[in-house]
Amino acid sequence: MDLTGLKWLQQHQQMVSPEFLQILGSDGREELRKVESYLGNNIYDTIDGCISRTSSFQMEPVKNNEENRVIALGNKRKPEGKRETREKKKKIKAEDETESSMKENSNMSNTETSSDVLKQDYIHVRARRGEATDRHSLAERARREKISKKMKCLQDIVPGCNKVTGKAGMLDEIINYVQSLQQQVEFLSMKLSFLNPQLEFHINELSSMMADPRSFPLHQQGSLDYSVINSNQTTSLNALKMETSSNWDVHSQCLYSNLRTDSVSSFFSLK
Amino acid sequence: MASAYNPIYTDVPEKDVFALHFLQTLSNLRTQNSFSSPDNKTSDRVKKIKKAAYVSMARAAGATNRLWSRSLLHQAAKRNNKNVRFLRRKRRVTWLMRRRSNRGDPIEDVAAERLRNLVPGGGGMETSKLMEETAHYIKCLSMQVKVMQCLVDGLSPK
Repeated sequence: MDLTGLKWLQQHQQMVSPEFLQILGSDGREELRKVESYLGNNIYDTIDGCISRTSSFQMEPVKNNEENRVIALGNKRKPEGKRETREKKKKIKAEDETESSMKENSNMSNTETSSDVLKQDYIHVRARRGEATDRHSLAERARREKISKKMKCLQDIVPGCNKVTGKAGMLDEIINYVQSLQQQVEFLSMKLSFLNPQLEFHINELSSMMADPRSFPLHQQGSLDYSVINSNQTTSLNALKMETSSNWDVHSQCLYSNLRTDSVSSFFSLK
Repeated sequence: MASAYNPIYTDVPEKDVFALHFLQTLSNLRTQNSFSSPDNKTSDRVKKIKKAAYVSMARAAGATNRLWSRSLLHQAAKRNNKNVRFLRRKRRVTWLMRRRSNRGDPIEDVAAERLRNLVPGGGGMETSKLMEETAHYIKCLSMQVKVMQCLVDGLSPK
């Protein structure tokens, strides 16, 4: 969330209601603390200040828990475009005064930095609709932010996602990437099946792995292990000829203990 | 790039773990089909190897800790007619689907549906959980691809 959330808060100076804090949960509170440190400990002052200042706004007659939130601004925000159309202004006695004062402050807030604006008298607040839908809209917004946060993480993982913006494009990229990975798995498994027609994976793997030119960096260790594994190889070949599962298990155990050597890890760590 | 604050917990084990599990599953394949190997058709072999790859990936990535790995193993066990576990999840699926039908961001939902079809076990997850699972799944898939690529390169004639 970090930068975008900070900018959002900076531009709109939204008072964070205690209920919003609850919905955000502990993660949200952490983020708020980060924002606070960024803005220089202004937010918590302002939150306390807001709560104390709401009384000065003559909002006491309408003070409920749900309505102790935020009054609509004239600010237009793109992601909140939907919610603005749904919003109605609450009937507050001091609404006209607060609106005019807020309009002044809204103009100033767009140009000044957050720390200056937050220290002013009037804090920008934003109204939600009625009581019942308040919680829903807040919850929805929290949910949407969670999803966008996670999509940003996905963006880091999936290569080539940086160029595309917007949720739909990014999701398409992610879907294409997953599909391509699955196709790669299928293709490689086809290759493997062609390379090993009798599914004799075990012996071939070991011998090819040990003799692989790419394991050169671990030359000395590799040669030592090679001798060990050679002796095991012959015994396991005999076991294969007999084709009894018990022998196979025993030898597979030995082979697996040999597998846990450094040479194998080097083999698989080389790209 | 790595952000210090990563809400998705994606720690994928090293390549060695994946390699070990994959080889183990392949050798299990070998023991199962020791007597019928010449009669195998190509497509059967390919399917078996593919299934082995997915199952080993699911096991290597922490079999029961992740939803997608659980559902992968579940599907694989079903195909072998083994005992079916985790029946409890079905109830949760219906509840979540009812809940999901109420919300709708049409842009998200279409793509989320496609993603759900791709990621195993995605049908019963909410969108945020789906994102986490996708991230982990992508990381594990890429590890598995690397392991298999190493194997193929090692096995291919020089």
